[in-house]
Amino acid sequence: MPNLTPATLLVLVPLLPLVGAVLTVALGRVLGSRAHLPAVASIAASAAVAVSLLVGLGREVGSGGTGRPVEMVNTLWQWADVADATPAGAAVPQAFSIPIALRLDPLTATLLAIITCVGLLVAIYSIGYMHDDPGYPRFFALVAAFVFSMTMLVAASNFLLVYVFWEAVGACSYLLIGFWFSKPEAARAAKKAFLVNRIGDFGLAVATFLLWITYGTLNFHDTITADGTIVPGILGQVRLADAVGYVGGAVGTAICLLLLLAACGKSAQLPLHVWLPDAMEGPTPASALIHAATMVTAGIYLVARCAPLFVACPEALTVVSIVGATTALVAALIGTVQNDLKRVLAYSTISQLGYMFASLGTGTLLGFTAAIFHLVTHAFFKALLFLGAGSVMHSMGGVIDMRRFGGLRRIMPITAATFLIGSLALAGVAPFAGFFSKDEILAALHGRGWPGAHGEHHEAPASGHASLTVAPGTHLPAASLLLGASRGEGAPASAIRFVSRATASPATAPAAGGLDSPRTWQLLFWMSLVTAGLTAFYTFRAVFMTFTGPTRVPEEAGHHAHESPPVMTLPLVILAAASAVSGWWLFRTQALASFLASTPSLTCPTVADTAVPHAFHLDVALQGTLAAAIGIALAALGHLGRRSDGPQMERYLGPLEPLFANRFYIDQLYAALVVKPLEVVALIAAAFDRHVVDGLVDGIGRLPGVVGTVVRRLQSGLLQRYALAGVMGTLLIVLALAWGLR
Amino acid sequence: MTMPPTSLDTFALLAPEIALVVAALVAFLGAAFLGLRSGWLVALAGIAVALALAGGQPTGGSVVASGGVRVDGFSTFVRWTVLGLGGLLTLVQAGDLFTAAVSRGPGLRRGGTCEEAGTFLLLLAGLSLVGVAGDLVLLFVGLELVSIPTYILLALKRTDARGQEASLKYFFLSLVASAFFLYSAVCLYGLGGSTELAAIGARLRSTEPNVAGMATVLLPAALGMAIVGAAFRLAAVPMHFYAPDVYEGTSPGNAAVLSTLPKLAGLVVLARVLGLAIAPDAVAAPAGPAAQFHLGLFWQLAAVLAAVTMTVGNVMALMQQNLRRLLACSSIAHAGYLLVGVAVAAAAAATQATRPLGDAGGIETRWVFELGGMTAAVFYLVTYALATIGIFGALAYLGHRWPEWTTASGPRPPREEITTVADLDGLSGTNPVAAFAIALFLLSLAGIPPLPGFWGKLTLAAAALEVDWNDPVALGSRRWWFVGLAVVLVLNAAIAAGYYLRIIAAMYFRTTKRGVQADGGLAAGIAMLACTALVLIATLQPQGLFRAASRAGASLSGTQPQAAATAAMRHESLPR
Repeated sequence: MPNLTPATLLVLVPLLPLVGAVLTVALGRVLGSRAHLPAVASIAASAAVAVSLLVGLGREVGSGGTGRPVEMVNTLWQWADVADATPAGAAVPQAFSIPIALRLDPLTATLLAIITCVGLLVAIYSIGYMHDDPGYPRFFALVAAFVFSMTMLVAASNFLLVYVFWEAVGACSYLLIGFWFSKPEAARAAKKAFLVNRIGDFGLAVATFLLWITYGTLNFHDTITADGTIVPGILGQVRLADAVGYVGGAVGTAICLLLLLAACGKSAQLPLHVWLPDAMEGPTPASALIHAATMVTAGIYLVARCAPLFVACPEALTVVSIVGATTALVAALIGTVQNDLKRVLAYSTISQLGYMFASLGTGTLLGFTAAIFHLVTHAFFKALLFLGAGSVMHSMGGVIDMRRFGGLRRIMPITAATFLIGSLALAGVAPFAGFFSKDEILAALHGRGWPGAHGEHHEAPASGHASLTVAPGTHLPAASLLLGASRGEGAPASAIRFVSRATASPATAPAAGGLDSPRTWQLLFWMSLVTAGLTAFYTFRAVFMTFTGPTRVPEEAGHHAHESPPVMTLPLVILAAASAVSGWWLFRTQALASFLASTPSLTCPTVADTAVPHAFHLDVALQGTLAAAIGIALAALGHLGRRSDGPQMERYLGPLEPLFANRFYIDQLYAALVVKPLEVVALIAAAFDRHVVDGLVDGIGRLPGVVGTVVRRLQSGLLQRYALAGVMGTLLIVLALAWGLR
Repeated sequence: MTMPPTSLDTFALLAPEIALVVAALVAFLGAAFLGLRSGWLVALAGIAVALALAGGQPTGGSVVASGGVRVDGFSTFVRWTVLGLGGLLTLVQAGDLFTAAVSRGPGLRRGGTCEEAGTFLLLLAGLSLVGVAGDLVLLFVGLELVSIPTYILLALKRTDARGQEASLKYFFLSLVASAFFLYSAVCLYGLGGSTELAAIGARLRSTEPNVAGMATVLLPAALGMAIVGAAFRLAAVPMHFYAPDVYEGTSPGNAAVLSTLPKLAGLVVLARVLGLAIAPDAVAAPAGPAAQFHLGLFWQLAAVLAAVTMTVGNVMALMQQNLRRLLACSSIAHAGYLLVGVAVAAAAAATQATRPLGDAGGIETRWVFELGGMTAAVFYLVTYALATIGIFGALAYLGHRWPEWTTASGPRPPREEITTVADLDGLSGTNPVAAFAIALFLLSLAGIPPLPGFWGKLTLAAAALEVDWNDPVALGSRRWWFVGLAVVLVLNAAIAAGYYLRIIAAMYFRTTKRGVQADGGLAAGIAMLACTALVLIATLQPQGLFRAASRAGASLSGTQPQAAATAAMRHESLPR
């Protein structure tokens, strides 16, 4: 290929796994035990491309990160296009066009690299984990299909495509949770995940409708029509430069809350978190990839991508934080009493995602970048922990109940060591990755709770960007710096027919009292701090129960409980290295934060103006470390070196224990409020269907045979009758027409 | 208005049709005198030459008339469609014939490829002539040139009792339909005093008092019988009865021809008869009372027939077990969907006809509606034809199955032709490519997004909803009618999904011990794959086809193609 431009490379990232998936499906039976080859090779190539794009874009942005927007849009083709359909004389152009457009900007590049790299490690690990499974080719086809869908989701540059791939990752997730579909629990868990996600998907669908009505486009990027008119995209630079380009008020809040509903479904936040723990019925590598590292972060991505929309609606932002912090706390509490290793990790995932939402909800640049920072580190250490749990499960003959084994560090030293590193990262112990990203999140929350304490100025100067002194056209060259494929630079500013909407700029209008008061944020900060302590506790409870104490192996493991093969431990080691150093490196250099600040969505003045100088918040760090230390100490007190089936910590919880163990009765509540009533309705409907509809249909089916009805007699096969019917019909028509004319 | 004289120009305009006829003659004579064996290759070559010649014709919105021939955007679209579908159908037929050549089983006849190919080429030429006919006589001749080769094809393909019954049935009923259309043409001639469509139209639209009087007498008969004549070709009520029997009694290749090409002919007849009352350009004087009668009758009749036809077709299909009967019923239902578009076009033209001259702002929006109807119909027809030809191509390709057999039960019984839904059981395991293709076509026919069938149904329903958009939905009003029609359409789509999904369920969720043969010949397999590719392309890139359909719709009413793209997907601008 002579001309490997970034635009071409960007297409390759999703295309390669797609090819891999198709090849696996086509050749699966032929390849047999080598069925992993197409998937692993294609994801590896895709990862290489994604990393090279990340590096290239990083150079483009520059080390300092100027905060100018950097994006590249590659429009492959127009999928549905009635671009020339604007009725003559209509005030606002109403072109309905859905381009298949992929974008590259810092946010997308970061996520593409994470998805493909973690995907590659998980795929390699699965070679060992899934061997001898009858569905071996199917598994790799699904993993490759998932990587395709997920990369398309984060690279898509309009809301309809996002919706399409939002559903596609959901479908892949469904198929992987129900991978062992002959197991009733797996089938049930898959169904539950699918149905709960539908609620969120509904939110995204309605949000898309509202966006179309409100903004007249679904594109993220600006487009230029044939006559040179610029159609500003929802997250395009024309609208971003205009500080009042975003609709607040009831409509804006509705859009944001619906987007949040969608994010809650996909990212398993309250009240839609119930599917994720059950999703652990799927193969562990799938849990690591989809239900820990990548798909569940789609909600984070969506909110971060739509940052300007959210910032225009402060109430919605606060709700994001409240949902996140509450989820984080509740899930952590539930996690403390789980005995299934994978479920501990599942609740931990929900809890950590809650952290990210709490961070996003601050609405500050620090909050957004911290959430993505935590997303990145979390992808490393949570994938590591899941794969470690899978390694344990693999060697223990499929047993995952922590009470049934102990002292495994003697049997599987590599797994134990890497799991410990992952746990330290998750617990937020310096200098491991989680410490730094969690510290940033806590700092973001702290900054909202105690404004001024860190020198933040949340009251953005009202004069800064409220005026339209900058002609939007001047921003376009910046946009085209990475060969802006779908925009023609240098369009005359006079051609811009951008109608700005007058709304109060949120940054200039601090909500007086109400939800959005410092007190709220202080409460959210304390909740997050408690969660940090709980996280350390349940993580180390799991570590101590599994890897310390007297060595015990369940009988299912047989006599050959052993360390996993190298093909499984190698990914563990790589992920452990990443979990150990990535946080420190990214924090020290601020490479990620300054890189992300060039994401168009985050260059919106309402977001960018909240930037604060990079600092290490010693007070916050100390509080976080103290919380983690208390958690680990309590876990050590209860479990270090003891038999894991001995008395548990929960005996100290008293009346709270059943509450946690029963997951706050949320599943039971849903069963009583939603599932049971629906079942009653379904029973009635089934009875109606059986007796009334089926009766009707059977009646129609029986009618010709039994009664010898008109239909049967007409369709008799007798030519004369057909001709007669035709002639009679004609006569009827002619007479009816004559009657009509009269 | 006088007819332009017939000249060399006329023949130049007919070059593609002439090429098809020449190719047919080559096939016939080559078989008789030169020992030519592969008639279908001649057919493919002929179609290729015709395509090349059609490419040199005036396209776009311009109208070129010479003699009885009139080439406009619509006839160009028809011609391209005929040639494109003709190429696919040639492959299906050729594959089908290969089966006949290698098997001596009962029913399918061997040999005769050149005769069949030549006959098929004549059919294509006839259909293309129907598209360019600007004269009643040429239109009728074209229709007969479609019908007569069809009789031959039906009779050639199968020599057993069932095949003979099918071809005879088709023959007689087709004669009835042709007779009706001929009567209709006579009435139109009586009304217009000319056989030229443009002249009849001009007279129909005039405001002379005696025209209105004559219309009262002649129009009901003319319109009713024209629509019945078209209904036979569309397989619409009340001339739909033959379809299940004939499809069942013939080969998959012939069924593919029957379910697509005559439908196009029927749609062209309806468009031309409807077009009589539509002024050739938007700024013409408002139509006289006769034209308003015409349009009023037309849309009501088309709407009623649409609703009845799709419901009858789907209800009949629901219980069918025989695949070809099922697809015949489904083809009846799809004729109903097409009629929705015709009804919308007529209703919108009726609105336009009553508008006073000079209401420019109104005209613009009204034309949008009207274009929506015909555009949606032709767009839908192509999406339907691709899927249907694909299915029949797949059936032709699959050919036969072995019956269940064990060594204990005696000698191996002969192979059976695939006839029932149960014969496709477990196809996803035995022939996954064909199963995927059939599933794709069925899902498209069912209108599952984002397949082309969905875009087709969407444009039809949207066009119906846009009739008299600004009026309230009062009982009995025109808008009420069309909202009702859209509801019936959507309900019917839901019913239809039932029997389409039944086939997919058989292929994917049942298992079988019976081997599949896939002995229908490579050509049919290629046709199946080509249809798969085209359906996928239309899924990803529907608006190429949509634009072409818009141009076709636009040329029927003399408006600019530019406005045509506004059609059904137009977004209603909302007040800010």
